[in-house]
Amino acid sequence: MGKPELRGRDVLRSVVRGRRRSVALGVLLGACHQGGEAIVPVLIGLAVDQGVVEGDAAGLMLWLGVLAVVYVGLSFGFRYGALAGERASVTAAHLLRVALVERVLAPEGGAEDGRLPGELANIATEDAKRVGAVTMALIVGAGAAVGLVVGAVFLLRMSVGLGLLVLLGTPLLLWLGHLLSKPLERRSETEQECAAHASGVAADLVAGLRVLKGIGAEPAATARYRGISRDSLSATLRAARAEAWQNGVVTLLTGAFIALVALVGGRLAARGDIGIGELVSCVALALFLIGPLSEFSWVNAELAQGRASAARIAAVLGARPAVSTVPPRTPDAAARPLAAEGRLRLRDLSYGPLDAVDIDIEAGETVGVVAANPADASALLHCLGRRTDPDRGSVELDGRALTTLDLAQARGVILVAEHDADLFEGTLLDNVAAAAPAGGQGPVTPAAAMAASGTDEVARSLPDGTGTAVTARGRSLSGGQRQRVALARALAADAPVLVLHEPSTAVDAVTEMRMAAGIKELRRGRTTVLVTNSPALLAVTDRVVLLRNGRVAAAGDHGHLVGTHADYRTAVFA
Amino acid sequence: MTESPAAGRDTAAREPQASGPLLPVATPARTRAAVARLLRPQRTLAVTAFAVMTAATAVGLLVQPLLGRIVDLAAERGPSDAITLTAALLVAVAVAQGVTTGLGLSLISRLGETTLARLRERFVERALQLPLDRVEKAGAGDLTARVTADVSLIAEAVRNALPELARSLLTIVLTFGALALLDWRFLLAALIAVPVQALTARWYVRRAVPLYAEQRVAGSAQQQQLLDTIGGSSTLRAFRLEREHTRRVTERSRSVVGLTMRGVRLVLGFYGRLHIAEYLGLAAVLVTGYWLVRQGTASIGTATAAALYFHSLFTPVNAALVLLDDAQSAHASLVRLVGVTDGPAPGNAKGPRVAGGSDVTVRGVGHAYRPGHPVLHDIDLTIRQGERVALVGASGAGKTTLARLIAGIQPPTTGAVLVGGAPPTELGPVAAGGTVALVTQETHVFTGPLAEDLRLARPDATDEELRAALDRVDALVWAEELPDGLATVVGDGGHRLDGARTQALALARLILADPPLVILDEATAEAGSAGARALEKAVARAVDGRTALVVAHRLSQAAAADRIVVMEAGRIVESGTHDELRAAQGPYAALWEAWSDTRDTDS
Repeated sequence: MGKPELRGRDVLRSVVRGRRRSVALGVLLGACHQGGEAIVPVLIGLAVDQGVVEGDAAGLMLWLGVLAVVYVGLSFGFRYGALAGERASVTAAHLLRVALVERVLAPEGGAEDGRLPGELANIATEDAKRVGAVTMALIVGAGAAVGLVVGAVFLLRMSVGLGLLVLLGTPLLLWLGHLLSKPLERRSETEQECAAHASGVAADLVAGLRVLKGIGAEPAATARYRGISRDSLSATLRAARAEAWQNGVVTLLTGAFIALVALVGGRLAARGDIGIGELVSCVALALFLIGPLSEFSWVNAELAQGRASAARIAAVLGARPAVSTVPPRTPDAAARPLAAEGRLRLRDLSYGPLDAVDIDIEAGETVGVVAANPADASALLHCLGRRTDPDRGSVELDGRALTTLDLAQARGVILVAEHDADLFEGTLLDNVAAAAPAGGQGPVTPAAAMAASGTDEVARSLPDGTGTAVTARGRSLSGGQRQRVALARALAADAPVLVLHEPSTAVDAVTEMRMAAGIKELRRGRTTVLVTNSPALLAVTDRVVLLRNGRVAAAGDHGHLVGTHADYRTAVFA
Repeated sequence: MTESPAAGRDTAAREPQASGPLLPVATPARTRAAVARLLRPQRTLAVTAFAVMTAATAVGLLVQPLLGRIVDLAAERGPSDAITLTAALLVAVAVAQGVTTGLGLSLISRLGETTLARLRERFVERALQLPLDRVEKAGAGDLTARVTADVSLIAEAVRNALPELARSLLTIVLTFGALALLDWRFLLAALIAVPVQALTARWYVRRAVPLYAEQRVAGSAQQQQLLDTIGGSSTLRAFRLEREHTRRVTERSRSVVGLTMRGVRLVLGFYGRLHIAEYLGLAAVLVTGYWLVRQGTASIGTATAAALYFHSLFTPVNAALVLLDDAQSAHASLVRLVGVTDGPAPGNAKGPRVAGGSDVTVRGVGHAYRPGHPVLHDIDLTIRQGERVALVGASGAGKTTLARLIAGIQPPTTGAVLVGGAPPTELGPVAAGGTVALVTQETHVFTGPLAEDLRLARPDATDEELRAALDRVDALVWAEELPDGLATVVGDGGHRLDGARTQALALARLILADPPLVILDEATAEAGSAGARALEKAVARAVDGRTALVVAHRLSQAAAADRIVVMEAGRIVESGTHDELRAAQGPYAALWEAWSDTRDTDS
């Protein structure tokens, strides 16, 4: 993983190689199935010949018996071949899905840059499925080839002329059908987009239902949807009409082709060149061969889709890491927590809007960082959380540059709790205790963290208290509730260095005061950085730093700066 | 973009994704009636389509007897001209079949697609009219799933399954007819396969329906987990929860794999049984042919035609049985759509009432979302026309609930709420001359050009009016700086707007909708502190000249109101102007002190 230049082809190859046993088994059994299907028309012809034409009951029974054996064989081949293929396909998709999630979550990040979560989830489901399906396509393709060969052998043995007619005519027929459908495919793409648009608009309107109802815009929204639905309908109808007529033309061509085979075969049989049963077999084979031949175009389409999907997967798996990594010194280095005092030193730190920032934070200090421009705060948080490499300068932890530490270890020491942090599925307590050391038995208990953040109040207002399920990434809670739970989780993690970003924007003034006191109390003796403009929180810091235009503009005591520094007052107050 | 489902801080006692009562599902009888109603205007089209498809199939069935005739001619060593003539007839049949098939299929898809469009339009119309509390009780996901997954499932069925199913069923029925025409004993032989097929179909559907339901649940659980994990990846990395979440995804994915394989085994078992049916029927037809030829009642050609008929039944029978599946799931989706479109019309039969003004009277109101858990007790409140009232209180005090009741989202459990003398639940939408507008902390940007988003509030607004509304909320500058100005596509998949801009947009819509009574519930909550100050000004301008109830957690917003109402634990504990309440030294004074202590004291 993380290799540059990972290509879709490599992904496809490794998928097929990884499933080679199932694929081989599937190919073998699929060949039995299609071969059997090709023999059925021949056996019908033999049964007609030996039984009906000759009036030989024993012959009829013999061929019916052979037919039964073939049926058992083809049924068995189909069943277990398809089973092997499907197993290979879904297992491969599953493994790709897990690999994708591992890459997205990898400490070095970078895989989600420029991709929406929905898009990535789609790659992990739909694209993984399509790449997995390539194994099935290979099995089907091999089976169809065998069916074709078996059919061809029988045809040519009966009559070279008639056999060649069928063998050359069928691909020609399919090619004509393909030619007809090509412009249709292109057109249907735009039409599908149009239909998807209508469905997207409907979902969007329903998602904004409360907003619509709030301003009474339901009639306007209904009218807008009707317009879009009508546009989509006329586009769909054009596509459907074209498809129907294409279908009609294919029916016509197939019918004419069968007539030709019957004409040639009938004349040969009338001359006595071939038997009646063989004539029947030829006609039935001509009808049958359309099947495996059209499988080829399906297999082709599957492979093309699989290639496109594999390229998308390769792009994620091979995405450039967002930050530089150092190889772990020992294999289990990342797993071991790093002993840290918690001394932070920002030296000449430059990244984005930040321009040569120097800040020293002693172990155990609580420092407020006020950014006049939110972009400064965001850049600082990215550097502290190792979401990015600084352009210049460094962040040092106990005298060691963060970039020289293992990512997971560094994050174990410095926890950056961002303002827009997500909650996850589980109970309220699960969320709070998610990152607590020693399973919540450490010095800071989840209960203490909940009390300090005001989450205890949230729990009291919920039906099942701390056991209430949190769903939809915390969207089942209100903004203020979510924020308190997120703060509780950050406090419960009891990191040597905790960086909190605007933890109180959605709570009321009383709760905010409680939070400030709680943070002060719980983080006593631990390094804490409060990146916020909230005066209530800044009031409990040991000292504050003002960032303005990417530089440190002032530093000192909050109360003192409020009284003396005009820019600081503007940043902190209305 | 969407913020917390209106559960809001006061009402979060309910879980929006809860397994509450889902939206209604129609009974099979009502579904049939609804489909019949949808088809009625297209009766002629339906009959024509059916007739043409029948003709196409019937013509197609001439192929086998003609092939049989060629076999007979060849067996008799008949004249080659006769063979050529028969082959020419086959070509004619092919032409006729091709033309009628093309025509029939296009008629059928026109019928299906038009009906589908009417259904989805009616669904969206009714979905938007559903009472909000109804939607919330069912969980927002239910409605979204119906409008997306169910509609597309039905569309898929209409597009692919319907024409194929119609064709296959017609072919099966008419082929049996044709077998009977050859000789009724061929029909009997062919029917040997039917019980096996029927049992197989029943066996399959019984297992498939619950299994597929399970698969859908597992599939959406996997999708949800992926969205959670991927969407929250930076949080997961910060808290080093990567391993735990990889495990969660693996588990969900594994359960999908398990269910998929169960489905595959089921389908394969289904085909295995169909193979038995095929063999039995084919052998029976061949034996019958042998016997009839021996008896001299049928020619070799007839026996051949019968065998070919039966062989050509394989494809349509398999197709029809497989399509049963699609039909089954489309039907499950259809009852969910009809459940909404067929529900009782909202509001009363006389149409919405018109409020006699925008004054608000709340008398003796109590409210409980769950019986036994009241969140409001005995509320009395009057808002005079044109008055601006701020609602203040700690989280969980009941502010959002009171705002929802006045906005008419639901009626109170006890007591009465009147707006201009009428219950707000019976007033029509603002755009239709209604009175009350509600803007909550929940925001949404509608996908499409920015101007179109705004015009939802006033469809006939000119560009100048749109600009004026944006200007009132200080949004015109950034709106015009967007890549295509007001024509910029915003929302999901378009240009993304941040929280403060989204809220400004909501306020601009409010100005365009121009309601006499406005209820604002923490419309500045998600903007962050700097953005909140700018929005506060925008809010003040948006509510200017209207009766307004503003739920505020920034007390500076409250201080500017005509009157402040303080709530605690579901009751109103204080009411008065900012100065009166500060002088009273009650709860508001305490709140104000806490608030201003941390802020600029002289603001």
